[in-house]
Amino acid sequence: MHLVTLPFPLLLPPSTPLSPLHPTFYSREHCLPKLLPVLISTRKKRQQQQGPPKSHLLVPVTPSQLADSCWLSVSFATFYWMAAEPFYTVASDSETTGEDKSQPSFPDVAIGIDIGTSKCSVAVWNGHHVELLKNTRNQKGMRSYVMFKDDTLSAGVTGGAAKENAHEERDVLSGSAIFNMKRLIGRMDTDEVVQASKALPFLVQTLGIGVRPFIAALVNNMWRSTTPEEVLAIFLLELKALAEMHLKHPVRNAVLTIPVAFSRFQQTRIERACAMAGLHVLRLMPEPTAVALLYAQHQQQLMHDNMGSGIEKIALIFNMGAGYCDAAVAATAGGVSQIRALSGCSVGGEDILQNIMRHLVPNFDSLYAGQTMDRIKSMGLLRIATQDAIHKLASQDSVEINVDLGDGQKVSKVLDHSEFEQVNRVIFEKVEKIINQCLADAKLVPEDINDVILVGGCSRIPRIRSLVLGLCKTEVSYKNIDALEAAVSGAALEGAIASGVTDPEGSLDLLTIQATPMNLGIRADGDNFAAIIPRNTTVPARREMLFMTTHDNQTEALISVYEGEGERAEENHLLGYFKITGIPPAPKGTVEISVCMDIDASNVLRVFAGVVKPQGQGVPPFIEVRMPTLDDGHGWCGQALAKMYGSKLDLAVHPKKLQP
Amino acid sequence: MILAPLRVSAPKGAVRFRSGASSSSSSSSRSRIRCAAAATASAPAGSTLYEELGLRAGATVREIKAAYRRLARERHPDVAGAPAAADFVRLHHAYATLSDPDTRARYDRGAVVATAVAQRPCPRWPGGGGGRPRRTWETDQCW
Repeated sequence: MHLVTLPFPLLLPPSTPLSPLHPTFYSREHCLPKLLPVLISTRKKRQQQQGPPKSHLLVPVTPSQLADSCWLSVSFATFYWMAAEPFYTVASDSETTGEDKSQPSFPDVAIGIDIGTSKCSVAVWNGHHVELLKNTRNQKGMRSYVMFKDDTLSAGVTGGAAKENAHEERDVLSGSAIFNMKRLIGRMDTDEVVQASKALPFLVQTLGIGVRPFIAALVNNMWRSTTPEEVLAIFLLELKALAEMHLKHPVRNAVLTIPVAFSRFQQTRIERACAMAGLHVLRLMPEPTAVALLYAQHQQQLMHDNMGSGIEKIALIFNMGAGYCDAAVAATAGGVSQIRALSGCSVGGEDILQNIMRHLVPNFDSLYAGQTMDRIKSMGLLRIATQDAIHKLASQDSVEINVDLGDGQKVSKVLDHSEFEQVNRVIFEKVEKIINQCLADAKLVPEDINDVILVGGCSRIPRIRSLVLGLCKTEVSYKNIDALEAAVSGAALEGAIASGVTDPEGSLDLLTIQATPMNLGIRADGDNFAAIIPRNTTVPARREMLFMTTHDNQTEALISVYEGEGERAEENHLLGYFKITGIPPAPKGTVEISVCMDIDASNVLRVFAGVVKPQGQGVPPFIEVRMPTLDDGHGWCGQALAKMYGSKLDLAVHPKKLQP
Repeated sequence: MILAPLRVSAPKGAVRFRSGASSSSSSSSRSRIRCAAAATASAPAGSTLYEELGLRAGATVREIKAAYRRLARERHPDVAGAPAAADFVRLHHAYATLSDPDTRARYDRGAVVATAVAQRPCPRWPGGGGGRPRRTWETDQCW
């Protein structure tokens, strides 16, 4: 047994390699995939079977205290105080290679987590069905925020724990809590979503140069800086503790749902936050595909009960939460769910809320320009009143809003549906666009859709419901799915399936064939974007494209890899870049350069590039790059490259087609 | 580096992709349960897309879909492990081409030519062996 204990690494200064804040800690090749917390009980057994360990790596082991129910009443500050306790253990990496699946895998079942912009939930396969876990306040959907106070941090999972400390909505809006981290994570300060986040009670500061924004929470009348990853990690840590309390064993693996519109870079941010919280991400599922999995299970169930026909069923899944809106078309038969098309955008309830707030207070931006204590308090009151009104409008024809914002400002207004719809017209147009795009990409007409599934908090808004159902030319939505629990249930199902759990009744005998949500390609033909793997390509996938040089005797070429829907490269998200050097001198257009993109079974993107013509000893070897390589400052990087090299290293798409 | 399972009979259209070097636990976990089934079920792949799906040339769309789904349950990397990725990509390519009436018609017309082209020596990826399969990568999307 080689067990060496180390202090909890969050406490180490960022300059130590053991600190999660140190760049090498997450250097993915050597650490992240292996960052698996290990069950101590199974360790002994395995070591007896396999002999001495081959090598060592850092593996977080959760102390038994975490499983104690008392943990939940312990705030995050106490977590810091517990530093003297050993949190990390060095264990053999032969244990993480997964050679042990013959053992009953039930204790290792991955949990499903739905990190919502507004609310989070966690679920697990309990051996018979998916069970959503409740917090101490008996809630399944827990408000997503982290509260910063003097020396304590507490997340919305416990919501301040004890009744007398319980956080109310006005505490969350006091500037001391950070929320909406899902909208902020992995975005640069030129992003319009980040710009819109400036209307939140905490500090979001931007420089508009394409780097990460600065965010801070109000603690004792001072702004204390943090990052969306850190906030999410703290939240996930509480969520993990909640799951461990329920399951009475350490939790290490998780399946998380993410919006379709999330870039690959944002996905790495989520993975990093999970790693900071000691969770290994088994899979990141686009939210509507998690719902598709649940739907496939329902259909399978109907088959078993001899109620289904076994014919392929097409479902359109529409999900709209507080931060994002996604649609997917899935074809399901025999437990196999094929994702035919995905589309999504970062529009959600938060935008509706801000639109209404600006409508109620026309001088909103000038009124709340600087964040003083009074203004934060006043904006919090407005936010609560608006939120309340929107919720009421879901079941009422009109709603009366009366709120005193202090400082002589009062809002007194009756809001009805037509006004509500007029104010949010742009949002409904975007919803329409993503549904139409999804249907077009799936090459389907509304009549082909068998079921329309509406999920997410915003699917309760009457206008959204009628809009989506109207576009699909149907009157009713699919009934057997809970709008707020569907995504997390699907994630828990996937967690069980990916953990290798089988169910004698066959309710886990499911397979989802996923598709890429966004175009992947490189910059070519000037500032154009050449998509190599188009969106909605089934994964795993591998595609290649030929390019040619654009200058005589060009010896170097810059490959800038982008992801997105824009026709121009700069409209898309820069994932990384590298040069092909040593190209044999030749007239322009005669050198052929091949760029191949490969998405493997684990959804990892690799780019291979090199000279294919001329051939021979004189050409440099191919280059393989795992993407994304960029860590920060995407917008800034693209501009710097353009300024430095102009069109000197450009490539053009080769007219020669690869297929016969 | 992991190579896709080598086929002894080396079919004409076969290609070996270098699948992601990640034999990560995520992708291999499911395989353990069902890989035995997959191993026995990987029938020798043919050189035509129809044979890839185990069908005759006149198969109906419904048969194509059913065959794809059945084979996906055996060959999808979630079931058969990460090294099966190339296998699944090939299966999906066959399905994508044949399930769309346009690409299917084009394939049916050009099937003879396509086999001839697939045999020509062509540049390949480092680590990849064999010829490149006939690709219709811009129409591959069709469902």
